[in-house]
Amino acid sequence: MKFLASQKLSDNSVMRSIIIGMLLSLILAMVLSLSAKGIDYGVSPNEWINTVLGNEAEFIDPMSFNDLLLGIHTDLFALILTFILIASVTARRGRSRVLMMGFLTLSLLSLLAYPIGMLFSSIIGSSGVILSLGGFIVFHLLMIIGGLDSLIGLLRKKF
Amino acid sequence: MNFKILQFIALAFSTLVILQASLGTLLFTRLVGLTPHDVNLYYGDKSLHGLLEVILPHTLFIAIALMAVLHFLAFIQTIDPRTKAKAVYLLFPLFFLDQFSPLLISMGLEFFAIIKLGAFIGFQVMLIWVWIMIFKQTQKTLG
Repeated sequence: MKFLASQKLSDNSVMRSIIIGMLLSLILAMVLSLSAKGIDYGVSPNEWINTVLGNEAEFIDPMSFNDLLLGIHTDLFALILTFILIASVTARRGRSRVLMMGFLTLSLLSLLAYPIGMLFSSIIGSSGVILSLGGFIVFHLLMIIGGLDSLIGLLRKKF
Repeated sequence: MNFKILQFIALAFSTLVILQASLGTLLFTRLVGLTPHDVNLYYGDKSLHGLLEVILPHTLFIAIALMAVLHFLAFIQTIDPRTKAKAVYLLFPLFFLDQFSPLLISMGLEFFAIIKLGAFIGFQVMLIWVWIMIFKQTQKTLG
């Protein structure tokens, strides 16, 4: 957000500490979100496909559309807010413009792939679930990397 | 090159937020319905605990999300301050009416079903309008 990006953070020790705390919490939240999804949906593409689309051979019912919508809606709320917060700090990190554009573009594309893959999984089948799983993992990894990069930068008073 | 990427990033982010609002609308339509009768039927049966389970996360997250969205609007200098004020003074009351009408419906005040629907639709329309305004002005500024 603008107020996070409008001042040199290394000059303001209070603001710096607040943002270090926020980044630590967000990185932890991303790790917990990955773990929670691993417990709920599984850790392999097959487990995700079975959970979302069901599996007749193993007597697993598909997830209801309402549950799917509710899950995506709740996840997206948290993930969009995490993206806004981490991206607004990482943008001040002073990395090259190309790297920053790549980070933002890839983060947004992976975040879009997660709900779109899930929503269309009933039409395109397992490819949708795999797209969704890929998007979910890539987004989380990018947020963790971006968060850690900013955290290290702040600790070393780089920006 | 950079301008095109920035445009793409702005478009992707707007798509994400509009997708999120559309998911909420779809969920509301499927779970509750779009007539005052449906709204009364759905919220009339809900316990206070069930209502709070929905109201609490929405109040928390939408407060933060509105702050993020409206702060973008506040920093765009080409938008008339009166238009900005209109967006702020309409979005928050619509949000409160949308979230708290179910409590009144569950207490037997069925009239609030109409207010709930009006506030819900009004909030979504206003939010889309704010995003379109932010997007258009950003394009102009970058251009």
